[in-house]
Amino acid sequence: MIAENTQTQMRKGILEYCVLLIISKGEIYASDIIAELRQAKLLVVEGTLYPLLTRLKNNGLLSYNWVESTSGPPRKYYLLTPEGKEILNKLDMTWMELSYAIETSKQMKS
Amino acid sequence: MKKTLNINIGNSIIHIEEDAYETLTTYLNEVKAHFSSSADDFEIVTDIENRIAEMFTEILSRDQRQVVELADVQVIIAQMGSVKDFEQIDEDATGEIPVQDGIKKLYRDTDHAIIAGVCAGLAHYIHIDERWIRVIMLISIFLGGSGILAYIVMWIIVPRAVSRSEKMYMRGEALNLQGFFRNFEEELAANQLMKRSGGFIREVVSALDRFIGVLGKTIVKVVAIIIIIMGSCFLLSLFITLAVLLGIWDANPYEFFPLNIVSAAYLTQIIFAFFITLAIPLIALVLFSIRVAFNSKALNKTVSYGLLIVWLAGVMASIFYVAKVTTEFKEQAEFTQVRPLAPYPVYDVRVDRTMFLNHEDSLRYHITAERYAGKVIISDDHGPFTTPSRVGLQIEKSDNGKVSLTQNYSAHGKTFAMALKNAQNIEYGFSQQDSVLNFSPKLHLNKFSNWRDQRVVLVLRVPVGTKLNIKKDVSYSLDRYGSWSCDSYDDDSNDFRVWEMTDEGLKCKE
Repeated sequence: MIAENTQTQMRKGILEYCVLLIISKGEIYASDIIAELRQAKLLVVEGTLYPLLTRLKNNGLLSYNWVESTSGPPRKYYLLTPEGKEILNKLDMTWMELSYAIETSKQMKS
Repeated sequence: MKKTLNINIGNSIIHIEEDAYETLTTYLNEVKAHFSSSADDFEIVTDIENRIAEMFTEILSRDQRQVVELADVQVIIAQMGSVKDFEQIDEDATGEIPVQDGIKKLYRDTDHAIIAGVCAGLAHYIHIDERWIRVIMLISIFLGGSGILAYIVMWIIVPRAVSRSEKMYMRGEALNLQGFFRNFEEELAANQLMKRSGGFIREVVSALDRFIGVLGKTIVKVVAIIIIIMGSCFLLSLFITLAVLLGIWDANPYEFFPLNIVSAAYLTQIIFAFFITLAIPLIALVLFSIRVAFNSKALNKTVSYGLLIVWLAGVMASIFYVAKVTTEFKEQAEFTQVRPLAPYPVYDVRVDRTMFLNHEDSLRYHITAERYAGKVIISDDHGPFTTPSRVGLQIEKSDNGKVSLTQNYSAHGKTFAMALKNAQNIEYGFSQQDSVLNFSPKLHLNKFSNWRDQRVVLVLRVPVGTKLNIKKDVSYSLDRYGSWSCDSYDDDSNDFRVWEMTDEGLKCKE
C-alpha cells in the first residue's frame, strides 16, 4: 500500500514534467501527447491527461489554439506560455537534483 | 438487425447501436460524476467528449462503416481509461465515490437463497440482515403457519432478480459502471459459493421455483377461464330474461311478483335500466378475464369509456325509477266492511284453496263453463315469484252476542285517492256454507292493479261459548299473529283442534 502510494506520487510528478517537456517542443494535440507518452513507456490513459492539461492551463503554464480538424470537432493544440517555460526550467533543475540524489543514493548503497 | 440511435457528441452526429449507446452513456455519466468535484469539470468533460467524437469518426472512416458498435465503444473506453484509472493519478481524488442509493425494488434473491430467496430479497428491501427475516419466518411458522402462506404467496408474486440491473435494483444500488463492476465481482463470488454448497438441493429448489412460477400463472389463467364461462352464462341468461320480460315470447310476466310492483307505463324502461346496470359490469369482467387468460389486447379506450358512460346512465335510470316506484308507496288507505254471519254453536273453519278467477283470468286460462262444470281450480303456488299476499285472521269475542266477520282492506298509493283505489281493487274470497266458514288463503288483485302492499285483515267475532274446529292449514295460512299456539298438529292435513270462545278469549279445548 505504501509502495503503491509512493509510486503514484512519483508518477504524478513525473507525468506532469513529461507533459510539459513534450509540449515544450511545439504546438501539440492531446492524443499526440498520449502517443509520445506511450512511446516513453509512461503508460497513461487519455482520460487522465485532460484534467492534467486543464489544470496546467488554469495555472497559466499552458495555452491552446483551436485548430480545425478534418475528422471531427476542432482540436485544442497546446503550447507552453512564457510562465510555463520558466516553470519547466525550474523543473529541469529539480529533476537534475533528484536524479543526482537517486544516483548518489544508489551508489552509496552498493 | 439492431436498433441504432443518433447522438450528438462533440458537435458531431454519430449513428450508434443501442447497446453501445447504453455503455457509452453509463461511461460518460461515470466520468461526469468523477469530475464533478473539480472546478473545471465542464471543460474536462467537453474535452473528453470531443476526443471520443473524434475517435468515433476515425474508426468509422477507417473501417468504412456507418454505425458505432459496442466493440468500438469498448476500445474507446479502454483508451480513455475508466474512472478507476483516473483515481490512481488524480490528486484530487480523496477516495471512492460513495455508493449512490438508487431506487429499491423488491425481488427474490436467488443467489443467497435457502429456498426461493424470498427472505433474502426482503432483507435487501428493508436493509437488515437476512438472518433476522429468517428467524421471524421460523417463528411465524409456529404461530399458526401464517409465515408459510406468506412465503408461498410472495414466491408466486415477487419476481426473481435475474438480470444484473434487477439485482442492483434489489440492493438499491445506482446503475453505474462502478455498481456494475462491483456487482459482477459479487456475482462471481456468489457463484463460487453456490457451487460449494451442495448442488442437489439447489437444483430441486430451482426446479420447484420454476414450477411455482408456472403454477401461479396457470392458476390465474384457470380462474380467468372459469370467470369467462360463468360470466358468459350469466350474460346469456340476462339476455334471455330481457327477451322474456319484453314479451318476445308468449309469456305474461306481469303477474309475477317483482314486476307487478312497477306500473306498466315505465316497466320497459326499468327493465332496460336494470339490464344495463347488470350486464355492463359482467361484460367488462368477461373481457378483462379474456385479456388475462389469452394475453389479448386491452379494449379500445373509446369503447371502454362508452361502456362506462352507458353503464352510468343505466345506474342513474335505475335509481330514478326505483325512486319513482318508491313514491307510489307513500300514502296508505284502508276501509272496513262488516259482514253478519248466520249463528251456529259450532263452526268449522277451513281454508278454501279454490282459485279466484275473474272474467279476464277465465279467458286467459281458457276456462269455460262447459269444460270446468263442477270442478274447481286449486291455487297452490309458493314460488319465488308469488305476489306477497297478506291475509290475516283473528278470532275475537263478540260483545253483542252476534257472529260477524270484519274485513279490513288496506293498500298503499302515491296519493290517498290512489291508495284507496288500490284497496278497492282487492278481491277476497270468503264464503259460509251452513256452519262451515271458508277462507281463501290469498287475496286477489283485479286486472291492471300493481302490487301496492295490499293487505286483508279479517276479524271473526263469535259469542262466548261458541266452539270452533280449526284445521291445521288454517293456522298455517292465516294466523299472522301467532296467537293460536295450542299445541302442534299432526302431519295429517285434515287434523283439527277444537277451540272455544271464553270470557278471556279463545281457548284450546284439547
